[in-house]
Amino acid sequence: MRRYAYAIPYWLWIGLFVIAPIILIVYYSFFDIEGHFSLVNYETFFTPVYLRMTFNSFWYAFLITAISLLIAYPTAYLLTKTKHKQLWLLLIILPTWVNLLLKAYAFLGLFGTYGAVNALFEALGIGTKQLLFTDFSFVFVSVYIFIPFMILPIFNALEKLNPSLIDAARDLGANEWTTFRRVIFPLTLDGVKAGCQAVFIPSLSLFMLTRLIAGNRVITLGTAVEQHFLVTQNWGMGATIAVFLMIAMASIMALTGNKKWGVRQ
Amino acid sequence: MDDRVIIRFDHVTKQYDDDLPVLDDVSFEIERGKFYTLLGPSGCGKTTILRLVAGFIEPTKGDIYFHGKRINNVPANKRQVNTVFQDYALFPHLNVFENVAFGLRIKKMPKADIERKVKEALRFVNLEGYEQRAIHEMSGGQRQRVAIARAIVNEPDVLLLDEPLSALDLKLRTEMQYELRELQRRLGITFIFVTHDQEEALAMSDEIFVLNKGKIQQRGTPKDIYDEPVNRFVADFIGESNIITGTMIDDFVVEFANQQFTCVDHGFAKNEQVDIVIRPEDLELTTVERGKLRVRVDSVLFRGVHYELCCYDTHGNEWLVHSTKKADIGEEIGLHFEPEAIHVMKQSGGE
Amino acid sequence: MKVSRLYLAFVFFVLYMPIFYLIYYSFNSGGTMHHFESFTLDWYKEVFADTRLLVIVLHTMIIALLSSSLATIIGVFGAIAIYYAKHRWKQTLLTLNNILIVSPDVIIGASFLILFTIAGIQLGFTSVLLSHIAFSIPIVVLMVLPKLQEMSPTLIDAARDLGANEWNVLTKVVLPYITPGIFAGFFMALTYSLDDFAVTFFVTGNGFSTLSVEIYSRARQGISLSVNALSTLLFLFTLFLVVVYYVMTQRTSVKGGQK
Repeated sequence: MRRYAYAIPYWLWIGLFVIAPIILIVYYSFFDIEGHFSLVNYETFFTPVYLRMTFNSFWYAFLITAISLLIAYPTAYLLTKTKHKQLWLLLIILPTWVNLLLKAYAFLGLFGTYGAVNALFEALGIGTKQLLFTDFSFVFVSVYIFIPFMILPIFNALEKLNPSLIDAARDLGANEWTTFRRVIFPLTLDGVKAGCQAVFIPSLSLFMLTRLIAGNRVITLGTAVEQHFLVTQNWGMGATIAVFLMIAMASIMALTGNKKWGVRQ
Repeated sequence: MDDRVIIRFDHVTKQYDDDLPVLDDVSFEIERGKFYTLLGPSGCGKTTILRLVAGFIEPTKGDIYFHGKRINNVPANKRQVNTVFQDYALFPHLNVFENVAFGLRIKKMPKADIERKVKEALRFVNLEGYEQRAIHEMSGGQRQRVAIARAIVNEPDVLLLDEPLSALDLKLRTEMQYELRELQRRLGITFIFVTHDQEEALAMSDEIFVLNKGKIQQRGTPKDIYDEPVNRFVADFIGESNIITGTMIDDFVVEFANQQFTCVDHGFAKNEQVDIVIRPEDLELTTVERGKLRVRVDSVLFRGVHYELCCYDTHGNEWLVHSTKKADIGEEIGLHFEPEAIHVMKQSGGE
Repeated sequence: MKVSRLYLAFVFFVLYMPIFYLIYYSFNSGGTMHHFESFTLDWYKEVFADTRLLVIVLHTMIIALLSSSLATIIGVFGAIAIYYAKHRWKQTLLTLNNILIVSPDVIIGASFLILFTIAGIQLGFTSVLLSHIAFSIPIVVLMVLPKLQEMSPTLIDAARDLGANEWNVLTKVVLPYITPGIFAGFFMALTYSLDDFAVTFFVTGNGFSTLSVEIYSRARQGISLSVNALSTLLFLFTLFLVVVYYVMTQRTSVKGGQK
């Protein structure tokens, strides 16, 4: 055991900041707002209001993930074909290092009633639209924020792909589309899954965007957790929602993180 | 005790969990100043012996002695033994000089001594002037030499070499075989060389241990092992052989392929079932009338120095023949051989 | 070919549009983000005159540097422990390690808030620092572990064979070998810390604030062009970091890639 002594801080971290918080969340979910032990939070969670919110959260998360994937895959694919691909990739990563709040803030200006986008709409003759504080702006900004995290793993998966496999497919008579569908896409599926994980899970907890961009029109589970912990001080209810978020997260991980998939290919 | 003995294995067994032992009750002695080869197929236990000597693993049962002292629990860093690894295991973050100096720096040797010794070791392996090179700038053969220099600079009593030539191409490998043999003579220390390549083993060793399934099948000089294999496994593993079963009719008389032949072997029980080995180069092409065996040629390959003929006798036994003469496929030919060419082995395996 | 170029150009345009939009209007004397009146540096002057903001920037930096340094030290040893762990423990440890990476920020924030409240730790500098260390550790581990696994185990055997004890093996072979991973882990931890909003938002209190939290509260009050000026400065700082990082990795890869 002596040789593991150097890792004591790490073991402490696992105990205090990984295991303990999970236990605490579950523990708190069994207390009502007055601090009495009860199952009232779970009863509340299964009322239409919360079930609807849960459904909405997952629907938005799904939309954000799907749109990100649709835009990111071609982007990643085209990036691997460019000349200075490492430089272009760096340019994709660079915006992720700009604070998320600043990017959200930028859209306050862009999407504002007199903002650049509406000015463009005006010029095109579409007319001014209410962009801010809509579902659309929430999804758009979320996709904007997450898209590099989708591009990156797909790009890496494409880069790892052995180019002679594509030659082989072409040699065996597959056209470009068949090659993509039967060879390239299946072999980059791990990258796609990693990307979906990196987008879907965080998009469940974008409370700051719902507040800034969607103007409380979109209430997701993440917003509700924040509301209960920091505004209404009903920690029990917040913890209950967190429990369901954790369950959802674990099932998504189990679904997409299955390594056996790789073997089957 | 014989003071020429450096290492002694006393009934050593190595077993992982509940699997079959990788090394099964093995005893042997290693003497000072000789070139030993551990030869066998992968998984035979040869690398396990090496790792036991180096101290990377401990025996499950039995004892290992070094200069007469039991060293079962002495860790690798406290042993007077150094290893040349199969993948060389050169430190990629250090240059050639620092790789070779690694062991000396650990011993906190004075700087000037390190400088001198490293240079000397590099000269020994013909790598003068490469001190400042990075490892990735060196070719496979050069890395090999760095690995050797790094080991011998510590002046070990025993140098362990774990299939060090397997990553090199054929030409370089042959060159390194000469060099290693020469190096061992000049250093005068014991080399224990692990390989699965029988030609390499025959060419380089003073003594060969043939291993299979965790047991030593045979030990002896290359000539002993080649000429007098003790069992089917050794005969098959060392060189290409014709191995067929037969019966020892009496001393100096053996029967196989439904014929009786004079041989030089004796001391077997009457009518004992035995294995017979005849090397392909001991079979001589001749006419059907003059041949001791009558065979039909099935295929012919040109091997450069000789033809390799694959023939079958009327009983369906396959005979491999190396001959400078050519024969046509389908042709009936005779095979002649001397009584000395027949080597009779007990079927159980002992000599 | 042409379509694909257009597509990429469009993606990059959308990606950078908001950032340059912010920067452009930081020079607007008009005070809004839609009508550019004339060029001014007033907003920058305002930023530099705002001592409260400067203190927050300082806090953010201190938290980022401290937390990523400590997380790197703990994470490196954690990675080594996982590397040496028995096979059946390895997967469990890795799962535990990754929980915080895949958890939604609100859950990390909420659970840490409960933890600090129960432990009696006052919300403020300490709680924020501890949280940042906590969510940075698994990132460092994930950056370091592949380097360890890529290292041939015979390197360790070779070092021991040459007389190195465990301490020598660690300091002379393992740590130098994984140095690139350690640097990458440190930089990742640094950016995570600088970028974090949600966790900090939950566990901060007592007047202690980081840049993200401050921008959030200012943005909620509407548009103020001093935020634009601040974001321009931050963007330049990020660019500077990227260039430093790029030059550093480029140097090591040139060193490693020479033939």
